[in-house]
Amino acid sequence: MPSGSMSGGLSGPTSPPHTTVPSKPLRPSRYVPVSAATAFLVGATTLFFCFTCPWLSEQFSIAVPIYNGIMFLFVLANFCMATFMDPGIFPRAEEDEDKEDDFRAPLYKTVEIRGIQVRMKWCSTCRFYRPPRCSHCSVCDNCVEDFDHHCPWVNNCIGRRNYRYFFLFLLSLTAHIMGVFGFGLLYILYHTQQLDRVHSAVTMAVMCVSGLFFIPVVGLTGFHVVLVARGRTTNEQVTGKFRGGVNPFTNGCLRNVSHVLCSSQAPRYLGRKRKAQTVSVQPPFLRPQLTEAQLAAKVLDNGIQGDLHRSKSSLMESQSADAEPPPPPPPKPELRYPGLSRGPAGHSEESSLLNKAPPTPTMFKYRPTYSGPGKNHTALTHAYANQMSRRDSLKESSLLQSSQQPGYRSEPSLDGHEGGGVEQSGPERTSGGPGGPPGSGITGYSLGGRSYPSFSDPTVLAGGASRSSSVRSSHNAPPSEATTSTSYKSLANQTPPPAPRNGSLSYDSLLTPSESPDFESAVPEMSPGRPRSPVVGYSSPYLSAQIAQQREAELHQPCASSTALLASPQHAGYLRGSTSSPPAPPERERERLLHDSQPPHHHHHHHHHHHHHHRPPRFSRPPLLSDSGPSQSSYPYRTRSTDTPLPPTTHPPRSPHPPPLGKSLSYSSAAAAEMQYRLVRKASASVGGGGIQAPKDEIQMKSYSRTNGQPKPSSTPSSPSNPVSVSTRPGQAYSSAGSSQSPAHKPGGGVKKVTGVGGTTYEISV
Amino acid sequence: MAETHSLQDLRQAAVASKVFVQRDYTSGTICKFQTKFPAELESRIDKQQFEETIQTLNNLYAEAEKLGGRSYLEGCLACLTAYTIFLCMETHYEKVLKKIAKYIQEQNEKIYAPLGLLLTDPIERGLRVVEITIFEDRSIGSR
Repeated sequence: MPSGSMSGGLSGPTSPPHTTVPSKPLRPSRYVPVSAATAFLVGATTLFFCFTCPWLSEQFSIAVPIYNGIMFLFVLANFCMATFMDPGIFPRAEEDEDKEDDFRAPLYKTVEIRGIQVRMKWCSTCRFYRPPRCSHCSVCDNCVEDFDHHCPWVNNCIGRRNYRYFFLFLLSLTAHIMGVFGFGLLYILYHTQQLDRVHSAVTMAVMCVSGLFFIPVVGLTGFHVVLVARGRTTNEQVTGKFRGGVNPFTNGCLRNVSHVLCSSQAPRYLGRKRKAQTVSVQPPFLRPQLTEAQLAAKVLDNGIQGDLHRSKSSLMESQSADAEPPPPPPPKPELRYPGLSRGPAGHSEESSLLNKAPPTPTMFKYRPTYSGPGKNHTALTHAYANQMSRRDSLKESSLLQSSQQPGYRSEPSLDGHEGGGVEQSGPERTSGGPGGPPGSGITGYSLGGRSYPSFSDPTVLAGGASRSSSVRSSHNAPPSEATTSTSYKSLANQTPPPAPRNGSLSYDSLLTPSESPDFESAVPEMSPGRPRSPVVGYSSPYLSAQIAQQREAELHQPCASSTALLASPQHAGYLRGSTSSPPAPPERERERLLHDSQPPHHHHHHHHHHHHHHRPPRFSRPPLLSDSGPSQSSYPYRTRSTDTPLPPTTHPPRSPHPPPLGKSLSYSSAAAAEMQYRLVRKASASVGGGGIQAPKDEIQMKSYSRTNGQPKPSSTPSSPSNPVSVSTRPGQAYSSAGSSQSPAHKPGGGVKKVTGVGGTTYEISV
Repeated sequence: MAETHSLQDLRQAAVASKVFVQRDYTSGTICKFQTKFPAELESRIDKQQFEETIQTLNNLYAEAEKLGGRSYLEGCLACLTAYTIFLCMETHYEKVLKKIAKYIQEQNEKIYAPLGLLLTDPIERGLRVVEITIFEDRSIGSR
């Protein structure tokens, strides 16, 4: 019975799909606009019929109230349909569907529609890649097909199924308002001598109301007439998706209009009767006749790699065809270190990655799976493993957790380039460690993860969970298909993320700034709370792609300069202007700044890890570290040390060319400086001087202070140099696995153990 | 032994894996599925057969979404009756969906189940994917 089509979409919990949907809390404020609209519409029209129409029908013709009656009925019918009809909600994807795109899958998938590249974003709530024109409504918490907008006046999303009714409602309401106003005016003109009568007063009141509503309604109607003619949705118009570009969804004005008005009513996806499967499938099964070629192929191929490759490629349109390692097992909460199991695979991939040319811009190339740790990744992993093994694992995880606060942090610094993202995925993959916060830019943290089996999952997961919720919420922020190209959808998922990813959080964030592509995309998504115009949909991807490519190129540096690679991208973001290694500012100074910076940034980000609503999903944003702006560069520090999320950044990350190793060293010292902050905060032990170059810190401070009005801290010698060496080890260590040991192994007299944020213990040579 | 064997026969086979045939968006947002043959099915079914099934499904969906006189008339009628017609009548799309469900059922019974596969109606997935369940083949000599 088609009556089901009338259901759904009503304010309050919609009928759940056959997959469970959590019931939504009752929010009375949602019903205010729709109640007011209903009250005005019904009230004013009723008054009109009661007070104005009788005289009009006598004076002129009975057709007047009949016409108005029909018009009113039409308005009401369309209003009800727009209000109560399911706009085209997609049911949540079932779990087994998600396994196809494992946690290493990119955040975006590109698809070519009539020659135009369109991105499909992974929806962490609904667990699928959003079809083109689909968007997730944060109010309704549903992905809606052909999402137009969420209309507060009907308290419903306007999507594929009910756009027609909404459009007709607007048209009919315009006509109705004009009719009521016109006939009311007619009445008044004939009763100028009897204006003190009740009827006249009421008529004038009705005229006022209708006149008041006429302007916005006509404006909206005109807007939608233009949209229909151009074949666009409100969402696309407002986010400027096709500004200056070609709309792949248009079929010409006439066809667009007929599609809106004359197409058959689209079916409901939710609440369908699920037919019981009557077909029984029992062995023995038939087998198709294998051709010679197939047999030969079977013999040569062990059937696993090839199948995986093929299935992946067949499933993804316009996906890069880079060789991919066998996808890791789907992330499970109890599976802590998938990365470990993939170690050998990672190595092989790494070498293959090294030999391969940099992949095409991430925007257009999405690897279904993390093609494997890049060399950086492996090196980092090794370095970390060496370095970390000496540390307290718990502290590590706590460090990770804290480092997860900032949204950017979660950005997979290395795997920023989702698309080509082989290298990026590297660090991600290596991390293999604790599950890590879902949705947070874990990728950066992959490094740590892998080598630290001791990372406690709960802490990481806890950290991640909070973030993932924020991630998701940011996901559902005002639709703005950001230009992020490289983010792992697993990061977006709230559910327990893959273990590897979480592990590397702390270190990766330090060393690998967020990917620029992510950065860009992060920008739009980041600020549900920020009044920012939506990012242009299609121009930025290119930019981010370029940047991503740059980053990839950087990351593809030979092993020897892996440190530089690691350091430079991150530090590009971190340390804007620092090129030398000035003495690090005093610990106390930094600490003060950190603390001082917190309050001013309250409005930007909360101190707690958990509140990242306004921030786009970590994964989607390139690590803020990569952000070129000085203010941004300071953020990573700030965020890390203060455990506050990085404020959203609107600057597209500028990834400079990989700096020379010396520079990278200084960069890494900057990273170390940040670690230093944490150390200072957590540890009472004074850190020896040296290490972190003051200028960098100062610059960070500067931007810090600039942002939060803090005075520029005076640089004081600090122990950074040692911590720097220590903290930067992860980056540097990769290049030289063994060398990182040295700082840690300094003679006891010169080494101080400091506990950093998150509990990581660092040995600092004093 | 014989008893055990027959017991096994009575049970539904175990699900080995699932393949998801994604939508083909190259022509826009019309409902169309990719006819590319998934690798997992290589040893289980003929490529031709699979493509034929998907192509038929695509044609049926195209018929459902066709902007023709039928759908126009339906829209007008609905408008005139203040959409109360939807309480009595089935929309054109729903009719075609029923046809599709029947077709899938028939394909499952005749072709896919004997091969140890099962097609799931994409409407259950929001017309996003065609889910093909691959059942475990416990017979000797299987892959």
